Amino acid sequence: MKTYKISIWLMVSLVAVMLAMPVSSGAEVYKLGLSLAITGPTSDAGNPYAKGVEDYFRYVNDMKLLGKDTIDCTIRDDKYETAITKRNFEEYLDMGIVFYLNYSTGSTLGLKRDFEEVKMPVIPASFHAGNLEESNYIFLPIASYSAQAIGLAEYVVKNHNGKTPKVALFVHPSAFGRGPVDDVKKSVAAGLGMEIVEVVEHGKDLDNTAMLQRFKSKGVQYVISQTVQSPVAVMLNDASRLGLVAKTFGEKGKITFLGCHYTGGNDLIALAGDAAENFYWTTSYIITSEPGVGTDAQLALAKRYGRDDKAANSHNYANGVMVAQVAAEVIKRAKTRGKEVTKETLYEELLAMNGMNAFYPVTTVGPVTYSKDDHQGVDTLQLYAVDKGQFKSVGTPFIPEYTGKIK
Amino acid sequence: MSYFFQLVVSGIVVGSIYALSAIGFVLIYKSSRVLNLAHGQIIATGAFITYSLTVTAHIPIYLSFLMSMIITFFLAMSVEKIFLRRLIGEPIISVIMVTIGLMSIIDGLIYLTPFGSENFSFPPFLPQQPIVYAGISISYTQLVGVIITFILIGLFSWFFKKSTVGISMRAVSDDQLASMSIGVSVPRVFGLAWATAGLSAAAAGSVIGNITGLNFSTLHAFGIIVFPVVILGGLDSLLGAVVAGIIMGLIQQFASGYLDGNFGLYGTAQVLPYILLLVLLLFKPHGLFGTHEIERV
Repeated sequence: MKTYKISIWLMVSLVAVMLAMPVSSGAEVYKLGLSLAITGPTSDAGNPYAKGVEDYFRYVNDMKLLGKDTIDCTIRDDKYETAITKRNFEEYLDMGIVFYLNYSTGSTLGLKRDFEEVKMPVIPASFHAGNLEESNYIFLPIASYSAQAIGLAEYVVKNHNGKTPKVALFVHPSAFGRGPVDDVKKSVAAGLGMEIVEVVEHGKDLDNTAMLQRFKSKGVQYVISQTVQSPVAVMLNDASRLGLVAKTFGEKGKITFLGCHYTGGNDLIALAGDAAENFYWTTSYIITSEPGVGTDAQLALAKRYGRDDKAANSHNYANGVMVAQVAAEVIKRAKTRGKEVTKETLYEELLAMNGMNAFYPVTTVGPVTYSKDDHQGVDTLQLYAVDKGQFKSVGTPFIPEYTGKIK
Repeated sequence: MSYFFQLVVSGIVVGSIYALSAIGFVLIYKSSRVLNLAHGQIIATGAFITYSLTVTAHIPIYLSFLMSMIITFFLAMSVEKIFLRRLIGEPIISVIMVTIGLMSIIDGLIYLTPFGSENFSFPPFLPQQPIVYAGISISYTQLVGVIITFILIGLFSWFFKKSTVGISMRAVSDDQLASMSIGVSVPRVFGLAWATAGLSAAAAGSVIGNITGLNFSTLHAFGIIVFPVVILGGLDSLLGAVVAGIIMGLIQQFASGYLDGNFGLYGTAQVLPYILLLVLLLFKPHGLFGTHEIERV
């Protein structure tokens, strides 16, 4: 009887232990990290960007795009402070991330050596060409600020009527703003037919009258901006008040204003209102005021996860979705090839993303291609201009010629 | 010549807005000797309240502007009562540290709202065409900004010179103990100083927001941008804030208009005001109109 009782207890214990044991499904969780400014300076861009990243990874998991495997991306606010970014990155390393998404130019430059040391593939939200110097592991998602500024300069040269166009550059007083200046100058030296009259590093200006009057007296016809929306909005308002804004591209006696990725989008229209009319802007992202397959998908994704209209229609939401798409795609490719998903294999997959293996994310106007010598994802740019309060496409997507000539 | 006068007009416009933003600093320092480092956050708060009342509550913007000043008046008074009143009599540095903490708290609260990370602009309520006279232009927004600045400065000057409360505030600023001994309520004076500073900050925020658009980083930066104006004018002088504001505005415009882009010079509009400030402080360490205190031992 005693033996029987012991046997029953042993059986019950065995069943209990078996039930308590985790069922091994073979599902993997891939850890990623994103550190960016959700609060603090430039959070107007960082906030929708973070939402884009978060939503796309949720979509990957919900739709089981990686089968049973899932992506666990930790998103942390760094308030645009490099010290916090560094701390976040180090904590992500402790968590065992296999891919890292960074944000600002300052922190990308500041952590470049760290990325090299730990051999971590990184995609930042900064398109500063200098990020790629002496770096093997940083990959720009789209054309660099330099390529964007050169693209705008080429558009000016091709579409200007009359003598050599006179151009001023209006830039942010930082590496982010200064980055393209030398490359535009090199393009001019290499034969791009325009004259750079001035390079202005702006401050927190309340009034740009003096600068604009100076431009006028020097015959400046075009201003190319590489900064954020707020200073551009103040400049456009002042130019509008002074009657200096060209109503058509290159209108004589007036100034045509153009800008790179972070100068434009709906935020510029929100800040500058009617003064933003006829502002020319370039980026590699699609925008929702030009509906298409990509924008439908973007809006559906935002709706699925309950985002408001402002985030859903932000080009920086598309920006966040796109970098998440690239990260998910390299994980998928590594899995398909039967590789273990590690930072090393994801790095290999990024380098192989070219030719037949180019990636078409639909959130951009061209394919994402990387190789050992090319760490700039989408090379193609699209020009947009504000027409009746909305950015509309101007021409077809293009690749700046002089970026190759000045290499 | 119209170029010169255009720069003068622009300099006065910018300077007036600097002065309006600087008044809040002066009001608090004048009565309590405290530098409120959260002033930029209060400027931004005032602007966002005006916007919310106008766009969300559909209240006419002129009324929203007045209501925002009143709301910020009471908000600032509450802030003083909750966070700063218990520090009366404590070292000034402790109070300044609290204002740094206050800065973080207001930042955090604003980041909980869409204003923290989105951009907005006031609906147009003034004619969009500028006023142009003899080739010199000024927008209605700028003109209204200048008018509001001078009205408020006039009112505050009268308040400090003629009203009993204003004189009490000056008395507390001079000597807290002596003021108490003649029956002046120091806590009440401090509360009023913060409240009036809040009122002026709301006005400044609404004017700046109309010019630059509503971007939190841009708005709260004005708390720091106007700091040289406050120092140059003399920390406790309203007249000093106005004169220094206009001097700074004019220097920036003239530097930008005549120096930048010429003689190989760039960025002088950003640097020259600070150089002037340094040079002037060598000769007048209390600023242009600051009180020169003589301490007898």
